[in-house]
Amino acid sequence: MRAVADPPAQETSPEDRQRAELLAILRSPPPSSVAAPRPPPVALPAGAPTSAGARRGRHLLALAGMTSLVVVAGLAGLMIGSVHIPAGTAGAIFLHWISGGVLFEPTWREAYEIIVVQTRVPRVILAAVVGGSLGVCGMVIQAIVRNPLAGPSILGVSSGAATGAVVVMRFGLVTLGAFTLHIAAFLGGLATLTIVFWIARTGGRMTPTRLVLAGVAMSAVLSAFTSLLVLTSPDPQLAARVLFWTLGGFGGAQWKLLPIPVAALALGLAVMLVQARRLNLLMAGDESAVALGLNVEAHRRAMFVLTAALTGITVAVAGVIGFVGLIMPHIVRLMVGADHRHALPAVALLGAAFTIAADLVARSIIAPLELPVGIVTALVGGPFFIWLLRRDARSLAGAP
Amino acid sequence: MSLPPGRLALEGVSFAAGGRALVQDASLEVAPGEMVGLLGSNGAGKSTLLRTIYRINRPIAGRVLVDGEDAWSQSAAWVAQRVGAVLQDMPADFPLTVEEVVAMGRSAHKRLLEPDSTHDHALIDAAIALLELESFRARPFRTLSGGERQRVLLARAMVQQPRILVLDEPTNHLDIRYQLSLLRFVREIGVTIIAALHDLNLAAMFCDRLCVLDGGRVVATGRPDDVLTAERVSEVWGAEMIVQRHPTSGKVWLLPA
Repeated sequence: MRAVADPPAQETSPEDRQRAELLAILRSPPPSSVAAPRPPPVALPAGAPTSAGARRGRHLLALAGMTSLVVVAGLAGLMIGSVHIPAGTAGAIFLHWISGGVLFEPTWREAYEIIVVQTRVPRVILAAVVGGSLGVCGMVIQAIVRNPLAGPSILGVSSGAATGAVVVMRFGLVTLGAFTLHIAAFLGGLATLTIVFWIARTGGRMTPTRLVLAGVAMSAVLSAFTSLLVLTSPDPQLAARVLFWTLGGFGGAQWKLLPIPVAALALGLAVMLVQARRLNLLMAGDESAVALGLNVEAHRRAMFVLTAALTGITVAVAGVIGFVGLIMPHIVRLMVGADHRHALPAVALLGAAFTIAADLVARSIIAPLELPVGIVTALVGGPFFIWLLRRDARSLAGAP
Repeated sequence: MSLPPGRLALEGVSFAAGGRALVQDASLEVAPGEMVGLLGSNGAGKSTLLRTIYRINRPIAGRVLVDGEDAWSQSAAWVAQRVGAVLQDMPADFPLTVEEVVAMGRSAHKRLLEPDSTHDHALIDAAIALLELESFRARPFRTLSGGERQRVLLARAMVQQPRILVLDEPTNHLDIRYQLSLLRFVREIGVTIIAALHDLNLAAMFCDRLCVLDGGRVVATGRPDDVLTAERVSEVWGAEMIVQRHPTSGKVWLLPA
């Protein structure tokens, strides 16, 4: 090791030359700001994997794989039900319908077309949109509270939405038409969002810990309130209906219900993708993120409102579905890494595929009855989560 | 053509938390290309003062000037384009790879949705090569040792292309080889540096000037020879030391008495 006080070495070994070139690169301004030619590429030490191209290929491959999972799950969702429709027919009906009648001449029974187009397509789309929304919400929430064990329900919005729905069921309010339940659920979620936001901001700084604690506290209060409403109700059926709501399901899927959740997911995902680089900085901790140029407070606030609103909409249309938002981000990070620029589209696709499949199980396992889909996601997701925790603990304990 | 070093000036900076004054009326100028060491016993306010520079602690009085502009009336991104900070550690709750952590340094220079350019990749590759991180490149950050993490965080600050580098105990966790190589490296890159240091001998060896904090106040600023006297070390640290000269460099060299 050469001490700094030594006179500068005159002999230039290849190593010194390379070092000088690397130092020059580090201090070179971006090519756009000066008209100077780009520095020549420097030969890096052998074995340096400068494989940006290879990495992009891997990400595209993962995205393609997840897209095909969505297609397979979606097709199965169109085939399976009280009436079994063969894959070829189901696919042909779907393509015929989506192409406006251009593709495929109808050779199938008309009843099939009605079942597929009126019942199963909206149901599959709703499951996909809800699953995708829960996936991206989970991933963003884990980043903003910097805790990989958080999920969309941790912000308290799910409980708030459930409470809104239960209030309507309990008091038989149907003043807002067919979608009263959904609107009440969304308003409940929105009110909770506002309260959690207000609690977490007291004292000026919205820290991850305050956000989680405010969400957990609100959830506890709201669940107690919901239970109170159910237990004091004269309607003996209410408990079962509430249970079904709080465990989620897509039985209410219909075309009229779709535009808002679809638009919300499209808009929310677009905003998150624009913010992806900043979300990455949040994972490095608040102090690092500030030092790297992020206005942490404003960013966290904006992302909190966005994810809470999106979560509220999913609960309003499908009830509280657990574990999708908690588990999918972990699987995606294992597959494409934690960089949100790649992980967000992937988690939207994987969440969609998983939720379509879970819904399929929920409606076929005790057919003609339906299980709440939240039971399926919890039965699959819970054990996986426990495995993940143990594996994580082991790999960290074994770290050097 | 390389980026010029920046000028840093602290003007009467004070900071308080929980009703306690942690830094009081601290003034210090760091000229372009200069390295100033911030010394003081534990709790003297070194880290607290450094955090007013990279916009964590907003001063209750005084100004932090970066190239003549008040850092606290600029945006976080503006400051991050000019000031890089190597923090003592980073939480590692997520499976970020070393390369992803280093690449974060480019954020302040990127517009939303702007993809990484060849220039970004060249910077990241150069920083990884210079800090001998090649073999860790694809490893999760959280599996690294303290010293390895320190080098990753320095690489991240380097790709940020700062004009002013803030180092908070940069030699923590490092063995003597990497302590020397890190300090030699930061002097080589031609950037203005302010560094909180514990090792007085390393500070005397590498810094142009030293600034001593005691109880949140600046008690001495100047060349190492003038600042590190036996009386001052005794006063500030409560440690009795013999002042010698380094046999080859002639710099101040302190030995326990």
